[in-house]
Amino acid sequence: MIFNIQRFSTHDGQGIRTMIFFKGCPLHCLWCCNPESQSFGYSLMYDRSLCKNFRDCLLPGGKGITSGTTGINIEPSEIQHPEKFRNVCASRALTVSGEEKSVDDILTEIEKDMPFYLESEGGITLSGGEPLSQGAELKTLLMEIKRRNINISIETSLHVPWGMIIRCLDFTDTFLVDLKHTDNGKFKSYTGGKADLVLTNIQKLALRHKNVIIRVPVIPDFNHSEQEMKKIIDFTVSLKTVREIHLLPFHTLGTLKYNMLGMEYTYKGKRKVDNCELTGYKEYAEQMGLIAKTGG
Amino acid sequence: MLQKIKTGEVSERISILREKVLTTKPSICTERARFYTQAYSENEDQPVIIKRALALEKTLKGMTIFIDDGELIVGNQSSQHRAAPIFPEYAVDWLPEEMNELDKRPGDAFFLTDQHKEDLVDIAAWWKGKVLYDKGRALMSQELRDIQDASIIKATGNLTSGDAHIAVDFYKILATGLNGYLDEISHHHRKVKLFEQEGIRKDHFYKALTISIKSFQAFILRYQVLSIALSKTIKDPVRSEELITISNNCKVIAEQPPENFYQALQLVYFVQLILQIESNGHSVSLGRMDQYLYPFYKEDILKGKITNEFVAELLENTWIKLLSINKIRPWSHTRFSAGGPLYQNVTIGGQTVDGLDAVNELSFLILQSVGRMKLTQPNLSVRFHKNISDKFLNECIRIIEKGFGMPAFNNDEIVIPELIKLGVEKEDAYNYSAIGCIEIAVPGKWGYRCTGMSFLNMMRVLLASMYDGLDKYSGKTFHKGLGNFVDFNSYDDLFRAWQQQIKFYAQKTIEIDTVIDTAIEEYVPDILCSAFVDSCISRGKTIKEGGSKYDFVSGLQVGIANLGNSLAAIKKLVFEENKITKEQLIHAIESDFEGREDEKIRYMLLNFAPKYGNDDDYVDILLRDAYLEFIKELDNYHTTRYNRGPIGCKYYAGTSSISANVPNGSVVPATPDGRKAFTPVAEGSSPSSGTDVLGPTAVFKSVAKLPTDKIMGGVLLNQKLSPAAISSDSDKRKLISILRTFFTDLKGWHVQYNIVSRETLLAAKKDPENYRDLIVRVAGYCAFFTSLSPDTQDDIIARTEQTL
Repeated sequence: MIFNIQRFSTHDGQGIRTMIFFKGCPLHCLWCCNPESQSFGYSLMYDRSLCKNFRDCLLPGGKGITSGTTGINIEPSEIQHPEKFRNVCASRALTVSGEEKSVDDILTEIEKDMPFYLESEGGITLSGGEPLSQGAELKTLLMEIKRRNINISIETSLHVPWGMIIRCLDFTDTFLVDLKHTDNGKFKSYTGGKADLVLTNIQKLALRHKNVIIRVPVIPDFNHSEQEMKKIIDFTVSLKTVREIHLLPFHTLGTLKYNMLGMEYTYKGKRKVDNCELTGYKEYAEQMGLIAKTGG
Repeated sequence: MLQKIKTGEVSERISILREKVLTTKPSICTERARFYTQAYSENEDQPVIIKRALALEKTLKGMTIFIDDGELIVGNQSSQHRAAPIFPEYAVDWLPEEMNELDKRPGDAFFLTDQHKEDLVDIAAWWKGKVLYDKGRALMSQELRDIQDASIIKATGNLTSGDAHIAVDFYKILATGLNGYLDEISHHHRKVKLFEQEGIRKDHFYKALTISIKSFQAFILRYQVLSIALSKTIKDPVRSEELITISNNCKVIAEQPPENFYQALQLVYFVQLILQIESNGHSVSLGRMDQYLYPFYKEDILKGKITNEFVAELLENTWIKLLSINKIRPWSHTRFSAGGPLYQNVTIGGQTVDGLDAVNELSFLILQSVGRMKLTQPNLSVRFHKNISDKFLNECIRIIEKGFGMPAFNNDEIVIPELIKLGVEKEDAYNYSAIGCIEIAVPGKWGYRCTGMSFLNMMRVLLASMYDGLDKYSGKTFHKGLGNFVDFNSYDDLFRAWQQQIKFYAQKTIEIDTVIDTAIEEYVPDILCSAFVDSCISRGKTIKEGGSKYDFVSGLQVGIANLGNSLAAIKKLVFEENKITKEQLIHAIESDFEGREDEKIRYMLLNFAPKYGNDDDYVDILLRDAYLEFIKELDNYHTTRYNRGPIGCKYYAGTSSISANVPNGSVVPATPDGRKAFTPVAEGSSPSSGTDVLGPTAVFKSVAKLPTDKIMGGVLLNQKLSPAAISSDSDKRKLISILRTFFTDLKGWHVQYNIVSRETLLAAKKDPENYRDLIVRVAGYCAFFTSLSPDTQDDIIARTEQTL
């Protein structure tokens, strides 16, 4: 299941790229800017500011949606089949995130910008959610893209069983791997996942794939400190085969989406991190012999 | 914000000259009108062509001339900078009618003195019933007048002003000099057979040509005399020396071919100026300046006679002079050309006839000097081709980044092969240039108006096809249709109705063009302009009589994206998914989507149907097929020059509809694409504002699906970028890369960029005084943002800003 295909993406990898965002993620990072990507099923999103009170959303019936005076009230947890609300709301206040797409469907979208990839040496970036959590079709998709001689990058947390990673090795040109923290406790409480799994997978991957780039979201209260970033950078250096690290400052662009999903946002109101705050980390990474870039 | 040119970037003289023209309030000058009125009344017995030659002579010999302090390039169009001359022979009644409102116009205001107003009243009185506008309207059937009055087709500008939309043969002018033309004219004049009726007409033409060229020479010599006189009174020895050079330049080029780069540029400017004193037409273009001036430049540089700094200064001075030229249009026409542009195009780049990259040092100097001046004139176009260097493209992007909308790109990869298919010789096809905004022609070999004939309002035609031919807006049925929309059973029924109506209106555009061409040929022939276009002299014909080598023209079709989006919404939501009933749709558009149910229909139309500009075949192909119905119909017609000499004499389609999308939209009720009544329709071939949501690659793909090989009048695409979008080198590389793909692989026709942030535009709208030099791309041309009317400003703000 995917939740977005974004053409003409120019800031995630080389050249002009089409990004495929897969839905579903094993982690639930508290700062996540794409909260609709977390669930593996359909998600209902409601933007009250767009609501024109057309009330067509009341028609499919079922629990969870009631009409109020200023708009619609939604209890996301009570809604059984969010997909039945697709294309119901004319004003697009109520939309369904997530679409089942076949490999062929996705390939059709990918091929649309083919001449642009060729000229710019761009390609496809798979992102999410966690693209590697997708089922068996993922490998078919990768093979088909590769058969068309298109460059492939995968953005991943590597928080998946090794078997899910190994199937992609031969087809992926670049792995953009999130390394959020090296400490198990902190990783667990902020993402719900296990740092050990990620670290081990990174080590294994770095041995088998020559093009791995480490990406670190720099998050206040979580890893935005000299000591924690040092550990992350030192770990990256210890991999030996990894030469590049990207530091991505925390931003709050996802706030609205939490509201639309009816989800709590722990990082609501937190100050966004400015690129210039990353200078010290960047310099340290460079001292350690890495190519370091900042900015998303 | 004013005076954003950096100190030290240009010389002090250029900075002062630029400031002076920029701060001069637009006005008018009645000198030309008075001289023309006198000459016409003194020579009433003469054939019109002689009358016009004598009128030009009187003007050129009698008008005020001046040389500004510091000027290196001389020549003025009227008694003051930015004072538009009046061309009463085209239309003049509107001036006394509008003259007290001119300074109150929401856009393109003019400031007149009481003396001006008195003059205008006198002049208008003499011309009553004698002007082109009246004569042209009289030639039209009542039906054609009604269709125009109903605003379905607009062609007023073609009767209130001249033709132009032309570039003359500067290669030949520079090679033979003006005496060379006199020799050629007299050679042909001697062979005229006066015992034939045709011979008498030719005799008049050659006499008129001789008078015109000689008065042109006299005009240049007046500057020789003036500059030498000034040189004697001026104390500064350096300036005095400059004036002596100017005087020598004028002396040479009044008769002989130029001897160096400086003289060549001065002659080119004089020709450009004179054509805009002879005729009121706009889009008089300079052609491939980096090519025909290059031999002069190269020789002077090799011999050490000039430096690049001096060349840059001369070019900058020329651009300021081009801005000093002005034109006043009636309000009805002004709304189509917001920002008061003259569309004087300069084209650089492209290929030589051998297919080699034609970019040279002068191309860079022209590009950079235009970039330093940041003015609305000239309108700079770059001819793209697949072997153009990254170095040159990079320089182009650097200038685009300055945010004044230039240069625009035209594409050799589609234009040249299509011109050859149309019957243009290879050598000529490789020498094409942009004219005016984005349209194209071969300089010195093409007739008038490669585009800019009738403007057809496509959405009014679509609505008529839904109402059995009834035009609801005017309440008239010009052509009975195939039934009412509510009785249609399928999309095919609607498409057949569209076919039937569009064929009718296509023919009406040609009928209007034919009347206007006939009137212009008969009442306001241009003589000097004809002299400089191949093969008018040898054929003994003006351009309008069939003197040019090639003749292809286009009208303009407005509301392209709305047409596609409307058809897609109807097909999908009404006929395929049954989400909206036919009655609901009609009710919704008739109520302008007011009321909750109708508003909901509007949102369904907007959000549940595919939109042009998103690389969706569903809508892109419907649009292509619908547009092709119009294009196919054009094949049945010829221009008035057919069988009279030129190759072609055919019509093709065009979408370079300047700012016409705003006034055209203001006469269109609500439409099935969800557009509210009387708001602007989409501009050129660009997507409707705010509907292209997948980024520039998808827009490029959609635009390239139009039958661009048949829209040789121009496939205009505006893209707006925020300044941040191209700030880094990597962003610039990506922009170059998508341009290459669009042009080389997708065979795109044209693209241009507005690099202005939304915030800047909003600020400029609120605080015009501080943003007087803020320039934006309106359509195929640039205008000072603050000179635009608020609704055009809003339209520009609304166009989607793409992020890279």
